[in-house]
Amino acid sequence: MKGFTSRKAPYFFIAPAIILLLVFSLLPIFVALFISFTNMDLAGLADYSNLSFIGFKNYINVLSDPVFLKAIFNTLFYVIIGVPLVIVTSLGVALLINLGTSKIFKVFRVVYYLPSVTNVVAVAVVWTYLYNPAFGLFNYILESMNLSAIPWLTDPTVAKLSLILMALWRAVGLNMIIFIAALQGIPKSYYEAAQLDGANTWQQVTKITIPMLRFAIFFVSITTMIGWLQFFEEPFIMTKGGPLDGTMSAALFIYKNGFQLSNFGYAAAGSFILFIAVIAVTLVQYRVQAKESDY
Amino acid sequence: MRKKTAATVLASTLLVMGILSGCGSKSAETTDNSGNKVTTISVWGMGEEAKSLPKMAELFEAENPNIKVEVQALPWDSAHDKLLTAVASKKGPDVVQMGTTWIPEFANAKALMDLTPYLDKYPGLKQDNFYPGSVQTGTFEGAYVGVPWYIDTRVLYYRTDLLKEVGYDQAPKTWAEMQDAAKKLADRGQGKYGFALDVKEQSLSFMLARQNGSELFDAAGKPLFNQPAFVDTVKYMNSFVENGSAPVDLGIDAIQGFRGDGVAPMFISGPWMVQLIKDQAPDIDGKWATAVLPAGKDNNFSSLGGSNMSVFQYTENAEASLKFVEFMAKPETQLKWMELTKSLPSSKEAWNNPVLQEDANYKVFGEQLKTAVPMPSTKQFEEIAQNFLSSFEKVYRTKGADVQKEMDDFNKKAESIINK
Repeated sequence: MKGFTSRKAPYFFIAPAIILLLVFSLLPIFVALFISFTNMDLAGLADYSNLSFIGFKNYINVLSDPVFLKAIFNTLFYVIIGVPLVIVTSLGVALLINLGTSKIFKVFRVVYYLPSVTNVVAVAVVWTYLYNPAFGLFNYILESMNLSAIPWLTDPTVAKLSLILMALWRAVGLNMIIFIAALQGIPKSYYEAAQLDGANTWQQVTKITIPMLRFAIFFVSITTMIGWLQFFEEPFIMTKGGPLDGTMSAALFIYKNGFQLSNFGYAAAGSFILFIAVIAVTLVQYRVQAKESDY
Repeated sequence: MRKKTAATVLASTLLVMGILSGCGSKSAETTDNSGNKVTTISVWGMGEEAKSLPKMAELFEAENPNIKVEVQALPWDSAHDKLLTAVASKKGPDVVQMGTTWIPEFANAKALMDLTPYLDKYPGLKQDNFYPGSVQTGTFEGAYVGVPWYIDTRVLYYRTDLLKEVGYDQAPKTWAEMQDAAKKLADRGQGKYGFALDVKEQSLSFMLARQNGSELFDAAGKPLFNQPAFVDTVKYMNSFVENGSAPVDLGIDAIQGFRGDGVAPMFISGPWMVQLIKDQAPDIDGKWATAVLPAGKDNNFSSLGGSNMSVFQYTENAEASLKFVEFMAKPETQLKWMELTKSLPSSKEAWNNPVLQEDANYKVFGEQLKTAVPMPSTKQFEEIAQNFLSSFEKVYRTKGADVQKEMDDFNKKAESIINK
């Protein structure tokens, strides 16, 4: 009996997590795959006998839908501009905070981390008012400095940048903490050896710090990219995909078609295309970046 | 060691108790003190009005001591999702408020009970108690699935003082007068406009197109959105944006534009705005009024909307639910509801009440209701209306847009939605 429990004990410990993962993550993915080949809508949801298989028709229609193509373009815009910005900003903040030794830097760590713990919906509502063309704080400040007001959320391209700005503000905190932890793991002996050889601060940062942070950068870039490929709450709350579908993201397109227009089969096809895209991007990143840790 | 085991036993007992209490199901039938069966029905209400539903529930419970009513208030944006879940799980409310534009899709999914077999037992639900337009919104393919509860129609709200300054003693009565008045009001200066055209309102264009003689769909159900009657309507709506008499992307709501200096002193909306204006803009008391819509080429029909009350198909308490719906449809209850929420009753008899006959704003609504027509009750209408909003956005955001071409594209999209 003792031998049995000690051998099987690990399985019992991981069983709850595995069961939850199977039932709430993997099973719905297979159900969505099935739905994407049917014409499920509200009537089909109520009575399964209304369903009929339509093969790849959903996928063909989704890929030729101009709104979906725009959503893909916008999502790539968010990822290509947003993710490097997040990495550079959080790394920069982490480096600066790590350089300091007085107590004030601990306070700044908290200050930069605070946006990460806020609820994205509440923050999005507040930032919508900040960006408001008539009453918003940003335009008020610009006009009191005699500069022209910026169409934060009313111009298709500027709206994308405004959403990126807000998401960047929220994303810096968590990634900065990861970088600070990684920074403190770099042995001081490397820096001392470099100083003996006459390296200045900039050379130390580029030749020692950043190469040693390779794993942390890899982790942050993968998680940020996966998260930003599914950019949803900010356009949903602040612009609803507008103006002129300028901020429509792939996830928002799926939500609109699935839950607002009840075209479940169509939306499931779109969500599978997004799923494949995220997996592909992650695999490419692994090939390019993953290397063994240096110490 | 004993303390540790005692603590573990206590903790696990609490845990198990918690799990079991969560698993327990609430039975809909319990017995009260005198041994009579008490049925509990759940009622889902949406929007501002739902906040006043519990008061009506109390009145109903006083008349029917063996029925308990549980009201759940849902905000409009999440109500649609919750109804989807209820349809999928077959577990939902007993009575549910249904916006008139949602009835087609949910009736098509057979989620709403057909009330025709119960009309003899509950004569208060009979169709001739209500305006024909409202009954139309609650009927789908011959099944009577929604009892009209409260109705609304759209009228013109305008600032009497500002319009007098530009030479209009009465509200504009035709489309041409509307354009003229709006332009004159916009000429007051920089940052001033004439008419707050609501570009997010799905029903506006279809309502105006009917005024211009468009039938929207022909007898066979094909869309007529690229015909002159509809295209001219879009050009009319766009004209306000083009000549600067309607603001775009101002970021203020209708009342903020209406009060004070009157940045946008005219707008089209429904009866809920009356109380909101009185609450949020007391400074313009006596300086504003409502009027029936300006007439287009053919007529000044407005759109008839509102909410109906439906019984969920999968309810287990049909009789109690029908009693509640009949109670809410009674003229006396509807007048009480009107006092609470300022929404218009759907019962024809309620409109004979002196309050509705004498108040200036209610008189305007009553007048407009005579010619109010509901939106087409096809289940694809919501999707078509959303597509119209995208097409219209392209029109008003592009200088010198080709309206005919946009409407041709929109018509093609509407056809593909219908033929899906």
